[in-house]
Amino acid sequence: MAEESDDRKPVLSKKIDKFFTGLADAWNFVRRFWKEVFLPPYEFKEVIHQCYRIGVESLPLISLTGFIVGIVFTNQSRPSLSEFGATSWLPSLISIAVVRAMGPLVTALIAAGKVGSSIGAEIGSMKVTEQIDAMEVSATNPFKFLVVSRVLATTFMIPILVLYTDFVALIGSFLNVNSNELVSLSTFFFQVFESISFLDIWSSVLKSLLFGFTIGIVGCYKGYNSSKGTEGVGRAANSAVVISMFLIFIEELLVLQIVNAIRTF
Amino acid sequence: MRGENKRSVIVGIFVFLGIAILVAGVMTLGGQQKKFVKAIQLKAVFDDIGGLQPGNNVWFSGVKIGTVRKINFYGDSQVEIEMNVEEEVVEFIRKDSKATLSSDGLIGNKIIVIYGGTTLAPPVEDGDRLESVMPLDTDAMMETLQENNKNLVEITNDLKVLTGKLAAGEGIVGAVMTDSLLAENFRSIISNLNRASINSNQMLTDLNRFTTKLNTEGNLFNDLVTDTTMASELKATITSFRSSASNTEELTAKLSEISAKLDDPDNSLGMLLNDPEFAEMLKSTMENTDSATYNLNRGLEALEYTWPFRKGFKRKAKAEEKEGN
Repeated sequence: MAEESDDRKPVLSKKIDKFFTGLADAWNFVRRFWKEVFLPPYEFKEVIHQCYRIGVESLPLISLTGFIVGIVFTNQSRPSLSEFGATSWLPSLISIAVVRAMGPLVTALIAAGKVGSSIGAEIGSMKVTEQIDAMEVSATNPFKFLVVSRVLATTFMIPILVLYTDFVALIGSFLNVNSNELVSLSTFFFQVFESISFLDIWSSVLKSLLFGFTIGIVGCYKGYNSSKGTEGVGRAANSAVVISMFLIFIEELLVLQIVNAIRTF
Repeated sequence: MRGENKRSVIVGIFVFLGIAILVAGVMTLGGQQKKFVKAIQLKAVFDDIGGLQPGNNVWFSGVKIGTVRKINFYGDSQVEIEMNVEEEVVEFIRKDSKATLSSDGLIGNKIIVIYGGTTLAPPVEDGDRLESVMPLDTDAMMETLQENNKNLVEITNDLKVLTGKLAAGEGIVGAVMTDSLLAENFRSIISNLNRASINSNQMLTDLNRFTTKLNTEGNLFNDLVTDTTMASELKATITSFRSSASNTEELTAKLSEISAKLDDPDNSLGMLLNDPEFAEMLKSTMENTDSATYNLNRGLEALEYTWPFRKGFKRKAKAEEKEGN
């Protein structure tokens, strides 16, 4: 009885203990993912299925968002630049903004909302309805089938979605610049590529991989560890989105510092 | 099963298009930044690169021909720039070309501009170092401009004083501008000067005409200048003159000798000229001679009227009378 009471007694405080316990669980979850991802059997069909759901089905929403971002950002930037007669710099400004930051960030945030929540809710509902336990009983590795496939799908689909977003945003920006400054397509894209570098493209792709992994792993972790019935499902979906978005911003900040350090090196 | 295949194909197309966008972007960027073209390395050393960074463009005759590859410190405080320059344009860049810093537009990125170079110098080679020219420093320019402003203020102040004096009629110019009499005199001087100028023009015309005449063939001066025969004759004449002068000199010497002898009373002429005693004697002799001649004339006249000479004289008189009729 005395040992039981010791176990129940919090180390620091109940909330802090819970936070660090959750962190340890998350770390173990990530470790398990990296362990499972390289071990057979490989669930290729499920990965392709998830790629379809996460990538292809998100494309219309992502494209529309990117297109609107391109137009809006161009329109909002024009007055500031036109104050000192530098509207010819719009393509350069948009390309830097879209390729370096807005493309990956907007895509990741939209994906966190759409994909992260659906992953959290889906796995969470499977958890509370004990479907995951059933899978274990039927000799299927639920972690590999549910988690690894989804995380791989988000990790590889988000960078591709980011490339689409960049392209569509630049097209939107071009239409706006073309209608106002009468700049041709070739001149626009010449100026776009004039101001960006390979480091911008590679950092954008690598950042997107990180964002994709974060969205997938957070969604799966929250869903996989949901409890308390249907309420837990909703909470898992919600926290999957919130934590994903929070981590995306943190990662954006860290990657920016690293890339800037490389740029000046 | 068919649905799964369809999904796989769609995912494949989706991934393919995404990667195609990435590859197209990379290729365009690489092509635009000359990353995939053969390049040589050129260097230039500057005192101050003003924020130039690796990746900034290199221009030649307004065309982008490469990028800045590396920036290193050099010597005490100088900076060495390494540039990648397209191999295709190397033949147009000569070893005596210069490199300077500029910017892409008024507020654009820093760029390296290669310019100049003559065809006398060979094309640049890999690793060559171009002569660098520091661009105009804005701070130095502003400093000079400030100095100019100060000078301008001083000049305008002086001008103000000067125009004040002019208006008050001080100094020659002021007096000319305000004193009507002085102005009239000045006008007169100008008029005289004008006249003198007309006269000098006339004189120059006459001089011109005169020299034209002198240059006419057959003219003495023209012959003197152009006729070689005449020159030789003139030379001979001068030689002759010189000989005559020599003779004259000799003659003069002899005359001097004679006159010296004439001054000497030892000889007959000297005595005649210099001895007063002799002169007195000669005078006396001459007087005696004159007296004798007079007496002789009286004797001869007396003889005319004497016999036997009287008849002869009468005959002579008659003959002379006849000839006179």
